[in-house]
Amino acid sequence: MTRFFAWGTFLLGCLFFALPLIGMTEFSLKMRRGEYSFDAYRRVFEDQRFWDTFSYSLILAAATIVVGVLLVVPTAYWVRLKLPQARPVIEFITLLPLVIPAIVIVFGYIRLYNTSSFLPLTGSALGTDILLTMGYTTLALPYMYRSVDTGLRTIDVATLTEAAQSLGAGWITILSRIILPNVMVAVLSGAFLTLAIVLGEFTMAALLNRPAFGPFMQLLGANRAYEPPALAVIAFAITWGCMGLMQLVTRFSKHERAKA
Amino acid sequence: MPKQTGGQRLRLPLEWLGILPFVVFAVLFLILPTMKIVVGAFQTPDGGFTLQNLLDLNTPSIRSAYWTSIKLSFVTALLGCAIGFAMAAAVVFGGMPKGVRNPLVTFSGVASNFAGVPLAFAFIATLGPVGLVTVWLRTEFGINLRAMGFNLLSFWGLVITYLFFQIPLMILIIIPALDGLKREWREAAAVLGATGAQYWRMVALPILFPSLLGTFALLFANAFGAVATAFALTGPQLNIVPIKLFAQIRGDVLGNPNLGYALAFGMIVITALANFLYIWLRVRSERWLK
Amino acid sequence: MSFLTLTHLEKSFGANRVVKDFNLSVEKGEFISLLGPSGCGKTTVLRMVAGFETPTAGGITIDGRDVTSLKANSRNIGMMFQAYALFPNMTVADNVAFGLRVKGVPRAERDARVAEMLALIGLSEMGGRFPFQLSGGQQQRVALARALAPRPSVLLLDEPLSALDAKVRVSLRNQIRQIQQDLGITTIFVTHDQEEAMSISDRIVVMNGGVADQVGAPFEIYNRPRTKFVANFVGTLNTFEVRVTDPATGRVALAGQDLTLPDAPLSARTGETLTVALRPEALRLGRLADAEALLPAKVTDVHFMGSVIRLRADVAGTDVSLDTFNRPDTPPPTVGSMIEVSLSGRDFIQLRA
Repeated sequence: MTRFFAWGTFLLGCLFFALPLIGMTEFSLKMRRGEYSFDAYRRVFEDQRFWDTFSYSLILAAATIVVGVLLVVPTAYWVRLKLPQARPVIEFITLLPLVIPAIVIVFGYIRLYNTSSFLPLTGSALGTDILLTMGYTTLALPYMYRSVDTGLRTIDVATLTEAAQSLGAGWITILSRIILPNVMVAVLSGAFLTLAIVLGEFTMAALLNRPAFGPFMQLLGANRAYEPPALAVIAFAITWGCMGLMQLVTRFSKHERAKA
Repeated sequence: MPKQTGGQRLRLPLEWLGILPFVVFAVLFLILPTMKIVVGAFQTPDGGFTLQNLLDLNTPSIRSAYWTSIKLSFVTALLGCAIGFAMAAAVVFGGMPKGVRNPLVTFSGVASNFAGVPLAFAFIATLGPVGLVTVWLRTEFGINLRAMGFNLLSFWGLVITYLFFQIPLMILIIIPALDGLKREWREAAAVLGATGAQYWRMVALPILFPSLLGTFALLFANAFGAVATAFALTGPQLNIVPIKLFAQIRGDVLGNPNLGYALAFGMIVITALANFLYIWLRVRSERWLK
Repeated sequence: MSFLTLTHLEKSFGANRVVKDFNLSVEKGEFISLLGPSGCGKTTVLRMVAGFETPTAGGITIDGRDVTSLKANSRNIGMMFQAYALFPNMTVADNVAFGLRVKGVPRAERDARVAEMLALIGLSEMGGRFPFQLSGGQQQRVALARALAPRPSVLLLDEPLSALDAKVRVSLRNQIRQIQQDLGITTIFVTHDQEEAMSISDRIVVMNGGVADQVGAPFEIYNRPRTKFVANFVGTLNTFEVRVTDPATGRVALAGQDLTLPDAPLSARTGETLTVALRPEALRLGRLADAEALLPAKVTDVHFMGSVIRLRADVAGTDVSLDTFNRPDTPPPTVGSMIEVSLSGRDFIQLRA
């Protein structure tokens, strides 16, 4: 009886998740009247703006990941090693982006860093790109911090540090040669999640007027019929790819550890 | 450690220096922007203190935007929690094969991040006027969703679309919590004569209550701040707060920049309230956990 | 008919037969231990009695009622678990009251019973605390009170002491036995600790590979183990090869000494060798008047354990272990010294494979 209900619930849920995926795939193939074709995809790939915005978002994602790692790894390490009393505060701050909507944060950016402010970041394209990168870092902060902090929990930070120090290593060496490799899996899973978030992000990029992938998709959606579902399929594939890589990294590391 | 007290006094501020980059980042890109909104909500255009911005929120249009947003967030959070919980419980306790669980978790990871613009496209292709399901129901069964009053670009259309990322988020968070329920608790309750329902009501749900509540608050905030999905689905005309704010930032549609601050401030207040409610209830319900 | 009977009980998980043709009759008020190594099926038997596992074959009756296909929540059983399993969201008093609450016992009666139970386990002051505020031993006492509060007909104990430290373990086990005897409640206790089983049981069932190898009182199990497995699992054994001289009267020879084994006639014939066993305390240091034989031995190891001194020695080419009591005026023998060991044929144990 329990099993019957369990299967029923599960299958109904699966149906709910499968239908939109089937729907968008089917629709994206219907561009040519009367037969299935990849015309919509060809159109998307022929569009120069697709490649421009996609590579722009990709570069921003890479920048976000670098900034995130440089920010989160030393901080999480330092808090574990020397400042456990700062932990609640840091954790609270890293969770704030889940509570404060992204649109509110970017609204603050626009008003705070306008051309007449102390830090006129929105005055130039590069400045805005930097601001957008910081915004994405903020959005990714909760996931990145938790991932790295959990990774640090599994290694004995204090002992590793003392051992490295007794061998004459400095802080930079300790962080880059000892700590980072040990939390690499956590960093990578945080990185792939960041990639997934940044590639599809719309609000911040749109409001800062940057040519990112998210606003491009929205623009196409407002003007075309068959390309949007093709884009949705592509976006879904990218998200799936990021998550798949995340799992792969975790599984690979477990395998490595099992061998050791 | 045999260190001198003088050195001790010097070390404390130095240690705090270690988190300086993080603090600077958080202040510049999280706290100051938020403060700017909060302060701006209480300022006149020339910088004086006023409550007029908040009072000006009290127009039928803005009131209805907040109300719709709150309803939308509440309903999707509630349904997301309920359905996500049912699916997670089915997989963890339903005696289903082990091979089901990992794919579900992986898929939930993907689906919870598959929000925004592409998600809207997927639902338009499925439940839109010429979407797969709409057409199929019409041609195979003669059911006309539109004639029955269903419209994807409406409140319930938005609810269904939001559930696509709300349910997986719930599944991701609640599966570990369900794993934390010990088999012995269920067995102890059973030998003491409790039925399955009594076990859930008196033991399992009270233990899960904090995680359920926390996830609910998270799902609420998640839906409340979502712009992209709604914007891509309906364009700028749907009257919910994030879309209104989006239009205001782009083109000052309210005709008063400081009213925009007040609008954003209202969003912070509501998500913060949801989270404080959660923390308060959690503290109350978790007396048994230090 | 016995109060609790298990007849031809079988349990398989897939192709794995965990319990095979298990039979047991327990009298009302009896304290029975299921003793065996992990994986011997003892816990599975207990879980079938509790109703958590359905037997593949066979039946269970409690007080004349067939409960084989009854759900766990209608068997009226009390149970203690290894990991306490107290409900963390309830106070001690609410935990104890749980069984009464789900049965719909009125408030006043419930409170009285909870107070009575808390007094029984000596935790009357702790009713308002949460489980995490208690020590392991206290938690397990609360678990006992919770199990007993609804007046169960049978009490099942699933290794309730193994998560506790040594001192608490001994005192709680004595407390459990005391309460069990006061209430006269039929009890099944699962453990892998032979000392624990022997110290509190009326009878012990030694299990091996899903089968009950031997059922008997602790004294009988220890001194007259029927199989090699039982003998080895319950205490330490020394084995000797002896040559049979007269099977009819049980006479054998060991290193030139004549001994008479119990349980004559012997299965072996004259001239054959027989493997027999002896508990360490049946080998006695020095020349004793009532002993049948006296053998020289060379001490190879000395373990001073307090009240008991355990020696290892070479007796007639066999490495043996022997126990002797500590005596304040006599220092233990030193390693390498020669000693004399007294032994009697009647203490020998003949083992089936």
